[in-house]
Amino acid sequence: MEQNENIQYRNPLRRGELDPNRWRNTQIGMWAWLWQRISALTIIVFLGIHLTLPYRPLIQFLLLITVTFHMVLGLRIILMDFGIVHAKYQKALLGGLVAVGAIMFIIVWIGIY
Amino acid sequence: MTDKTQKSTRVVKVFRYDPAVGGDGHFDRFELEIEDESITTILDVLLRIQTEQDPTLAFRYSCRISMCGSCGMVIDGKEGLACQTTVSNLQGGEITIRPLNHFPIIRDLVVDMDPFFKSMDKALGFFEPVEKLTEPAIIRPDSKERRLIEKYTECISCGCCVSACTMANWYEDYPGPAALNRAFTLLLDSRDGLNEERMAQVLAGCYNCRSELNCTEVCPKNISPTRSLKYIQLLAAKQPFKKVDVVDIEDKIKEAAPEIPAAVVTPEVSRRNFMSRMTLAIGGVIAVVIGGIMSVTALVPAMRKRQGKWVKVGKVDEFPEGVVKTVPISYKVKDGIYESTVTKPVFVSRESGSDDVTVFNSRCTHLACVLHWDDRKKLFLCDCHGGQFYPDGRVKAGPPPRAMDRYLTKVKNGNILVREA
Repeated sequence: MEQNENIQYRNPLRRGELDPNRWRNTQIGMWAWLWQRISALTIIVFLGIHLTLPYRPLIQFLLLITVTFHMVLGLRIILMDFGIVHAKYQKALLGGLVAVGAIMFIIVWIGIY
Repeated sequence: MTDKTQKSTRVVKVFRYDPAVGGDGHFDRFELEIEDESITTILDVLLRIQTEQDPTLAFRYSCRISMCGSCGMVIDGKEGLACQTTVSNLQGGEITIRPLNHFPIIRDLVVDMDPFFKSMDKALGFFEPVEKLTEPAIIRPDSKERRLIEKYTECISCGCCVSACTMANWYEDYPGPAALNRAFTLLLDSRDGLNEERMAQVLAGCYNCRSELNCTEVCPKNISPTRSLKYIQLLAAKQPFKKVDVVDIEDKIKEAAPEIPAAVVTPEVSRRNFMSRMTLAIGGVIAVVIGGIMSVTALVPAMRKRQGKWVKVGKVDEFPEGVVKTVPISYKVKDGIYESTVTKPVFVSRESGSDDVTVFNSRCTHLACVLHWDDRKKLFLCDCHGGQFYPDGRVKAGPPPRAMDRYLTKVKNGNILVREA
């Protein structure tokens, strides 16, 4: 189909552009993606502190909680990548995994201290 | 919360762009009295604005029953069909309506869908039969391919997924969720003849997905393009070392669809080779490292000659003749890098009228319980199973199979030393 060259198109809008509710409209999967990146960087920081200052309960707590969170988000992707969990259940999967992660965290933490 | 069936006045902000004016576009504000929010669709709202307030408002629609995919737009920040979204679906307050993202805007809410169909073409989103059949092919509803494809053939090409996909903005070559979903349905189709070619066209695009699943969230037909493109990757993973003949594939594409520029993405081929090689290399390194550590751990202690050492028990003078004494000995043990101190009791028995001492291991020869010397009975006794030994170590009673173990001893500078393995 021939396009009318005289019509001046507006450049495509980007997702979130001109959107006053940009943060509210950020979907849960986008948050999951973002938080996995953030937790990955945080792990590097906390791991460094943990290795230089071992056996500090506060640092162990922070490291364990970050690693658990990162693991949960990673499992979410792995389970969907391999088609083990259908992608349409992504919200339930994320919620379920975070709950499992929280329970595991509590068990491990009580086991240590 | 207001009762959604009640009459309400809503403010509707609609994106406006006039090609004659150009610029960035702006939002126009309309106030609209809505009789019943639960039966008023966004399409109704737009039509009413157009007829009652501003006849220049441009938007697309056709079927009004969410099967044509013309009225895809961003409603309150989320993509959807205007005809499928009712006002009661939305939160209260202002309603914001804007055109789909990631498509050039022609006017107001009308976008140019050309990029969408170009990427459909690039993904070879058409059916090319393996053989020309005169009768319909029979695909059973319970066959694996039919069950895997689900209702994913029901895409109406509304473009909502592409608009919701953040990656569509960052990768120019990214075919987008819809095209990859189409490719998925055709790749699983046993009747289709362009399998290899399609795979070569779309596989690289699949890796641009960051699994944010926005497409899955917004699809008005409840399709999950994320699942589709992940399944394409799974299909590819089942044949990781398959060689792709680029020239051959380009020829075939030209033959099947001369108008489509064969754009076999060569980086994808090298990417796959790179990934296979890296997987092998990293796997190899891990295998060598772990295997090395394990074999060293397993073999070296067995090969190393154990250096026994002499451990001090005490001075000869401390042990009167004819008396059995229990004393602890302690020495250091190094296990790999770990050093620890072992402390255990031994029985020292000095015979009458000589400097000779006998040092007994305190472990019972039956099941290695620790023995104790009973000075009244003049016997070594085991509490576990009632083993009894004479002061010279012979078995008196109970289950022990042999006499008590003795240490190799020597006396040096008046000290009694025992050989500890």
